[in-house]
Amino acid sequence: MRTGQPRLGSQNRIAAYFAAVVSDESVRECFAGPAAFPILPNKRVYFARNRGDGEDKEEVEAKVQALGVTATSKYMGEQWLVHVPGTHTRSATHHPQKNCVSNFVTFTTRHQATTTFIMVGPTASLAPLYRADGSSSYTCPATGYELLGAVNAPVELPARRDALKPEEATVEVFVKPGTTTAGVGERYVEGILRSVLATVILGREKGLPRRGVVITLAIVGGEDVERGDSYLTLLPALLHTSLLALLSATVPLSMTFSATLLGVTKSGIIIPDPSAADAKAMASLHALAFSSKGHLLLNESQGRFEFDTWEAVRQKALAICQNTAVSADGDVSMAEGAEGAPLHDFVRETVEDQVHRDYPWKIDAV
Amino acid sequence: MTTPLVLLPGEEVPSDHLPPTKNNNPLKLGPGLRLLSQPSTSAAAGHVLTATQAGLLTTDAKRNTVSLLSFSNRRYLPTTNDLIIAQIHHSSADYFHCMVTPHTAHALLGQLSFEGATKKTRPMLKQGELVYARVLSVGIGAGAEVELTCVNPATGKAEPGGLGPLVGGMVFDVSTGMAARLIRASSASPDQTDAVEGLVVLSELDKKLESVGGFEIAVGRNGKVWVDCSNAGDSAIQATVAIGRCLQQTDEGNLSTSEQKKLVSRILREMKIG
Repeated sequence: MRTGQPRLGSQNRIAAYFAAVVSDESVRECFAGPAAFPILPNKRVYFARNRGDGEDKEEVEAKVQALGVTATSKYMGEQWLVHVPGTHTRSATHHPQKNCVSNFVTFTTRHQATTTFIMVGPTASLAPLYRADGSSSYTCPATGYELLGAVNAPVELPARRDALKPEEATVEVFVKPGTTTAGVGERYVEGILRSVLATVILGREKGLPRRGVVITLAIVGGEDVERGDSYLTLLPALLHTSLLALLSATVPLSMTFSATLLGVTKSGIIIPDPSAADAKAMASLHALAFSSKGHLLLNESQGRFEFDTWEAVRQKALAICQNTAVSADGDVSMAEGAEGAPLHDFVRETVEDQVHRDYPWKIDAV
Repeated sequence: MTTPLVLLPGEEVPSDHLPPTKNNNPLKLGPGLRLLSQPSTSAAAGHVLTATQAGLLTTDAKRNTVSLLSFSNRRYLPTTNDLIIAQIHHSSADYFHCMVTPHTAHALLGQLSFEGATKKTRPMLKQGELVYARVLSVGIGAGAEVELTCVNPATGKAEPGGLGPLVGGMVFDVSTGMAARLIRASSASPDQTDAVEGLVVLSELDKKLESVGGFEIAVGRNGKVWVDCSNAGDSAIQATVAIGRCLQQTDEGNLSTSEQKKLVSRILREMKIG
């Protein structure tokens, strides 16, 4: 572990972490205490308060300011959504749903009838590495994984490797575990990643045929996947990291995608983003990826499940990945009941943040 | 002008962001965009522009171009007609072998592709010397050679001006995005006096260093800037270093126009010139 900040590891740990928070005082401790909740730039953290006792905008903002957080608030249906600066404004307009399991933690204070949600989405940054053609770092608070991805493209390959498909770029993926050498599990997940990424990379664009796109993914934090454990828990994080690194390296892509992991418990409840430890107890695990146009790009499942379960999982995953349908031909209907910002927006926000950082002179002039 | 639009791969360029079509001038596509034919079922026009990279959409109404500005610190990939600063690595019978970017294959520059060069009179460049050159061709596929030239093959002149060996001076590294921005700013029409592409650093330096003798600058798309102040006499070295520092810090800090002005006066004060 690199930092002293509390890790928001599994589901249960988030719940445990906030179970203690029952009053405004302890919320303040939560932010200012020794184990301060890390509000980092770009970390999407929101407070939402029930309108409950007829508070207006000023009152809500004053209360939140008393917590040591400067923020702006907005009335959204049932609650006040408080937006913490340094996080992205766009997401604040998404309506949070109460029934979310992973992204919101609900708890009720005893004295007041207020409910507070805290939402923690994945965070990422582009181009943290200087020498690679493109790179990205990715942190997923729900599962605790931290990844670093680097892309070098186009690179010259040894002649025999491009002989298989000379009209296209050869995609190579390497997964490096943090503490051990790569083994069978890494080879398996590299194969899955290669096939997904090869479908979105435009390998026939100018300068790419007979050359290579080399993607290296290093697992730098989080629970290690031990030999024999399921590698599916890491798959969505690996996919997001490699997509962002590819975007950063300006490799031509036909579309973007977002991926999610869902676990089904023995009693049939679907849980998004289970951690590696939680995943062991699941009856089945499903990793799904959807393209920005709504195609199902990846469907890896393990365990015993019915087809009806899989269909429910697919719908839930589609809602998590993109609850704002973008398809022009109306293939994807608006999926209701999704929680928080869709993952597809997370990719977009990461890119927008980097563009705003690179081109302030261009954007501010408008 | 419309609001800045950030596109992701696969997203379409909305037609209201395109420059108005007029005077039969065809629309030119920059990097990161491609033309796709739409299925004929839709009522809209038969073709759409889609992005293949992530970046900021920019249009130039005067030149009728639309392009996608990608992140600024990426590796330079040679493109035909780019002006670059290359360093001679070694020479062979017919070619100079030049370094354009680190850790890539050498680019070739013909021994005779200089203005007025013949077999008898040609520049004898040694290892480490610099040339300002144009990318003639980039080749296709693996092992393709990048060819450079310092002369327009059609006219035999060094066009655009300044191509050829760079003597004296010093080279500074900047990001490829900054290099492209400097080139765009310098090619803008001279009547636009204030802050072309948000850059005032060069015009400020020009004003401040005029008294010591001015300076000469060449920008290569491969992220290199060559600066020469040989007219500045005793303060030539300080002025060269000051210009390089101003450009690099403007690049790294993404400074605004007022910050650039402050930076120039601070660095010149520290170097005790101007």
